[in-house]
Amino acid sequence: MASITIKDMCVSYNKGKTYVLDKLNLDIKDGEFCVFLGPSGCGKSTAMYSIAGLLEPFSGQIYFGDKLMTETEGGKKKTFVPPQERNIAMVFQEYALYPNMTVRENMGFSLKTKKVPKDEIDRLVNEQAAKLELTDLLDRRIAQLSGGQRQRVALGRALVRSPQVFLLDEPLGNLDAKLRDQVRYELKKIQKELNVTTIYVTHDQTEAMTMADHIVLLSGGHIMQEGTPNDLYDHPANEFVAGFLGTPQINIFPCSVKEENGAYILDAGTFRLKAPDHVKASLAPYTGKKVDLGIRPSDFEIAQEGVNSIPAKLDSIEPLGDAYLLYVRIGEKVVVFKYAGEKAPTETEMLLKPNMEKLHLFDPETQKRINA
Amino acid sequence: MQDNMIAERSKAGQAAQTLKVKPKWHMTVLHIVYYLILVLFLVFYMLPFWGALVSSFKSNAEAISTSPIALPQNFSMEGYSGAMDLLAVSLLNSLVVTIFGAAGSVFLGSICAYALGKWRFKLNNVFFIALIAATYLPFQAILIPLLKNITNYGLYDNIWGIVLAHSIFGMPMCTTMMRGYYSEVPDALIRQAMIDGNGMWQIYRKIVVPNTKLATITTFVFQCTSIWNEMLFALVLANQGEGAQAPLATIVLNSFVGSTGVEINQLMAGSMILALPMLIIYIFMGKYLISGQMSGAVTAS
Ligand SMILES: Nc1ncnc2c1ncn2[C@@H]1O[C@H](COP(=O)(O)OP(=O)(O)O)[C@@H](O)[C@H]1O
Ligand SMILES: [Mg+2]
Repeated sequence: MASITIKDMCVSYNKGKTYVLDKLNLDIKDGEFCVFLGPSGCGKSTAMYSIAGLLEPFSGQIYFGDKLMTETEGGKKKTFVPPQERNIAMVFQEYALYPNMTVRENMGFSLKTKKVPKDEIDRLVNEQAAKLELTDLLDRRIAQLSGGQRQRVALGRALVRSPQVFLLDEPLGNLDAKLRDQVRYELKKIQKELNVTTIYVTHDQTEAMTMADHIVLLSGGHIMQEGTPNDLYDHPANEFVAGFLGTPQINIFPCSVKEENGAYILDAGTFRLKAPDHVKASLAPYTGKKVDLGIRPSDFEIAQEGVNSIPAKLDSIEPLGDAYLLYVRIGEKVVVFKYAGEKAPTETEMLLKPNMEKLHLFDPETQKRINA
Repeated sequence: MQDNMIAERSKAGQAAQTLKVKPKWHMTVLHIVYYLILVLFLVFYMLPFWGALVSSFKSNAEAISTSPIALPQNFSMEGYSGAMDLLAVSLLNSLVVTIFGAAGSVFLGSICAYALGKWRFKLNNVFFIALIAATYLPFQAILIPLLKNITNYGLYDNIWGIVLAHSIFGMPMCTTMMRGYYSEVPDALIRQAMIDGNGMWQIYRKIVVPNTKLATITTFVFQCTSIWNEMLFALVLANQGEGAQAPLATIVLNSFVGSTGVEINQLMAGSMILALPMLIIYIFMGKYLISGQMSGAVTAS
């Protein structure tokens, strides 16, 4: 068990010419389930490999607890604990199962290396295999397994150890939807049971939202925002974060800000909204300028009539089972709206009322959040 | 409409599959000419072998007086018994030199290939280029210094001296060959083994070697063939003729053509005996030429 601290870490694949990760600073608490989230190629795996000790950063430090694991400066290493001595378990994006071993041998390999007694290995492997429904497969060779089975073996192999850090690189990528939900649930449960510090890499925001204690959202080698799933969802620090979390995506309306009789008006051209009092202070500097207004699809409701509503034309309906996704036109713009009613609305002309408490306002130039 | 088109297309597809292409007459003639040429080359290639085979079963008198490719009139094993008498000791020597020389060079080559192919260290490219250069180094160029060294070690005229020479001079070739095979072992496996608590040489022993058995066998067989047929080291690093301590079969066979005149049947029988072990090894190896032993390591399919 250990916390993980990263200080000013830069990682480069070309000796410092360009950085894949640029001055990364991060604190992961002991026992925390931390998710590295971000689009493909943003440096999630690179960050994880650096923590594992499979990669030497160009500069910066990595601590497990208060023990220094990696310290490099200008491409020169000062302290470096090799991966086999870091006591980590890892599941790779490629499963990396040993083809010369059976499932049982694969799962027990790390324990055997640590010279754990044979009965103990058998016990741990059997226990973990049962949890992951691998019991019948234990004596098979890797080549005889399906993709989903291989992934479960890779997970099981990591879970049988009691590592101080548990690293998972997109471990559910190749499972079908049903199994993915199940393994996701199991994984989270096991992690809480073992209370082992876990870093989980994914590009899937649903996985991140459902599993994480702590999300680190990366893009282009920088941390866009970190915090609890709710922090990121309710208070996205910039437009990228707002767009990356939540399905369907947040709707963004470019608006100009006008001051009329002491109130601020957001004018999108096709509609005008009176800004609520709690954003007044944030909007003041933008008077006469543009802002981007973000409204999540679930933050609309249908209004009968009234102020602060948006006229819209129904385009199409997607039933979700418990709700409906309505695609509506506001002027020329198609906007998604999640409607929680029993029956889909029948009229084509409607008035949408956004939840003014949950507005997101961004500066169109810096893309940064304006309101608190 | 759409469905119709699909139906049409699949009918056409079936027709294309079952269609027997009837060749034009000049194509048929061309084919015959091709085959004639191939058969001609085959005959040229196999004729010496055939001649050696039939002559080895003749008496010496018959071998001298009849056409070398005619079947023996009186089937005789006298060539074989004579050749075996002369070759017995040297065959055993050759076998020892071949097996240990090949094993030695494969072992050294495998270690080099692993270190060079899977790890980065200072000057690793320099090492590799030096090895490549050594692969193309002609034996003749280093014979004199080699002889001096072997003599210094007290291994002149000793089969272990020849084993040593082959182990070391086979190493660059083995390294090059095995490096190719090792590059197919996914890096992910090696990373995983590190995470599982293994150091560089534990990974070599537990993961790399067991997953590249085919590579080891192929390289071993390759080395066996070249050492078995090799003459230069055998000639230079040991005494020949009367009182030789480490005669090898290739050299002894050549001495059949010598002072007492040529016993053609013996010579041919000797050649057959020398060819046999490599033939057996190749047939045996066919079993191992099954590709795809890494399948399932890193992908879903
Ligand atoms: N071995 C490598 N050599 C050079 N560039 C690499 C290497 N591995 C990754 N990269 C680059 O670094 C960036 C981050 O990669 P990675 O960490 O694998 O992203 P992610 O896991 O988030 O998809 C990508 O632009 C990728 O092209
Ligand atoms: Mg990745």
